[in-house]
Amino acid sequence: MSQAVSSNVKGASIEIKHLGKTFGNVKAVNDVSLTINAGEFVALLGPSGSGKSTVLMSIAGFERPSEGQILIGGQDCTRLPPNKRNIGMVFQHYTLFPHLSVGDNVAFPLKMRGVAKAERRRQAEAALEVVRLGGYGDRTPNQLSGGQQQRVALARAIVYNPQVLLMDEPLSALDKNLREEMQIEIKRLHAELGFTVVFVTHDQGEALTMADRIAILKAGRLQQVSQARELYERPSNLFAASFIGEMNMLPVRWDGVNAVFSDQDQIRLPDTASIQPVRPGSAILAIRPERLSIAAPGTEGSWKATVRDVVYAGAGSLLITHLADGSEVRLRVASAGQAPIRPGQEIGIKVPPEAALLYPADASQ
Amino acid sequence: MKPGFFEADGRRMSRGAILLLMAPFFALIFFAFIYPLGSLLSLSVLEPSPTLGNYERVLENPLYATVLFRTLRIALLVSLLSLALSLPVAILMANSRGPKAVFLTACVLLPFWSSVLVRTAAWAILLQRNGLVNDFLQGIGITSEPLRLLYTQGAVVIAMTHVLMPFMVLPIYGALRNIPSDYNRASAICGAGPLRTFWEVTLPLAMPGIIGGFILVFLTALGYFITPSLLGSPQEMMIATLISQQMRENLDWPFAAALVGVLTLLVTIITIAFSKVFRFERMLGASA
Ligand SMILES: Nc1ncnc2c1ncn2[C@@H]1O[C@H](COP(=O)(O)OP(=O)(O)OP(=O)(O)O)[C@@H](O)[C@H]1O
Ligand SMILES: [Mg+2]
Repeated sequence: MSQAVSSNVKGASIEIKHLGKTFGNVKAVNDVSLTINAGEFVALLGPSGSGKSTVLMSIAGFERPSEGQILIGGQDCTRLPPNKRNIGMVFQHYTLFPHLSVGDNVAFPLKMRGVAKAERRRQAEAALEVVRLGGYGDRTPNQLSGGQQQRVALARAIVYNPQVLLMDEPLSALDKNLREEMQIEIKRLHAELGFTVVFVTHDQGEALTMADRIAILKAGRLQQVSQARELYERPSNLFAASFIGEMNMLPVRWDGVNAVFSDQDQIRLPDTASIQPVRPGSAILAIRPERLSIAAPGTEGSWKATVRDVVYAGAGSLLITHLADGSEVRLRVASAGQAPIRPGQEIGIKVPPEAALLYPADASQ
Repeated sequence: MKPGFFEADGRRMSRGAILLLMAPFFALIFFAFIYPLGSLLSLSVLEPSPTLGNYERVLENPLYATVLFRTLRIALLVSLLSLALSLPVAILMANSRGPKAVFLTACVLLPFWSSVLVRTAAWAILLQRNGLVNDFLQGIGITSEPLRLLYTQGAVVIAMTHVLMPFMVLPIYGALRNIPSDYNRASAICGAGPLRTFWEVTLPLAMPGIIGGFILVFLTALGYFITPSLLGSPQEMMIATLISQQMRENLDWPFAAALVGVLTLLVTIITIAFSKVFRFERMLGASA
């Protein structure tokens, strides 16, 4: 694309080893270990207060870890101040300096690195062109829209070719269209420039579409780190299963071969259903709503259910039903070609055994 | 919906309500400031005869120009000194939380609990011939006999700085407090160390507060009366003392009024110059 930001830059790996951070008596981050490969795009995903920002701020150097170690490009950075880490970062709010022009904002990191004025002008303009804001250098930040401001922030974060780019919910203040546009923009830059990205979000759609791997956090602990597809299809525990997408969760008794419902209906599960071995006893059967389909009531091997509600949503419809024992089951089915279904109607639900997942019932897992 | 008299519809009260609420303020400004100033200024051109004779007298005698320049110099010194002393205090306050912040704020506001007279008298006690400062200087052997500290310009500058410092600290503190910490973080991650961040980011963003405090202290110092007249030497008086002398000792009100006119003109010019040079409104707008 441009000369200044050459495409042979490669990212640096990030190793987080047993990271812990305590604020007073709150354990914000608890024994998090994560290795991020050079050039990888990792999203940190989790509910509010789960410690995403704290992990990111520890990588940036704004939080000093209570325990553990952080290595960037193989070098121990745990005690290195942020200004010495040579990391690019985009914040959620208040990122651009209001007293500087857009061009001076982008040139700021170069100025801190002692680049001569004419040269930093040139490089700043090149970086602005990379984010498609060429010619905006003379404006002030408050003359730009929110999306443009975040693009300038992005330009400022990449202008000095950092090996690592950190982003803390950089798009959460933007509306939906702008957000999608920026997601594509960031992905493009990542592909072109090859830096390592750690991206904090609590928008699972954003994480699924953008990241190579997704790390799920809950209450300061890492739940699962995997690729989007695996995370969606084989979440490693109940929290991950319920956090990403929709999931039906049904209490069952597991005898090692069959999952038995309270009304004695049962389903024989393949070995692959349990991600980790589940001991016989009470368990949870999890299944995505879009994997279920409708059958005529009483069809062999189908569950008997009563429709409670039908939510029409264009291409697909959501069916909220309940089984004989009262547990709720949701189905997502294509709207087209479906015989009209009314609340109160009895239906059968066909369950492909390979779509079912089994988890231990105790919440501690 | 029809807006009520005091009710805010969106954000506006009725015009009548705004006028009613502002009336006491404007009344005060008019009766306590504009009216007396106006009558003084008319005195300066109408008495003893309708001429500019009083102003000619101010310009003719170089003594008055000397007093004016001395006043300007002292006011500038006081402003610079209180800026230098206030900046660290304001920074410390802005970075403190909890009991420490309360303690610091109390320290800054403490002088307001006593009158200017008391604070000035305190300096007179400290600086007199056998006062604490002279005792100390003799004690550590810097001087063998007491120095003349009281009734000097130095005494005036120090005491006025002390009295006026809160007016510098508070606007700067307010400005610093309003800078989101994200700016400091953005600056640090861009490669700026703490000092560089302070210089490149914090200081420019705090500029409206710094300029506000500076103007406040400078203009107050220009017309300051009590401290210079109690601690200063009669040979080196400031303009306020001169005006008071003309009014009370020489009973020459028209001439005193002309001096007031010159001072008012000076203050107006300085204020306008300040706001032009520092593009005041733009800075306030930019930091919002
Ligand atoms: N400076 C701090 N002082 C005290 N507690 C803190 C501090 N920063 C974070 N915490 C606490 O640490 C926990 C994790 O906070 P963190 O900001 O990392 O969460 P998060 O996942 O980024 O949440 P969000 O999605 O709301 O941004 C929370 O319980 C929070 O209250
Ligand atoms: Mg956060």
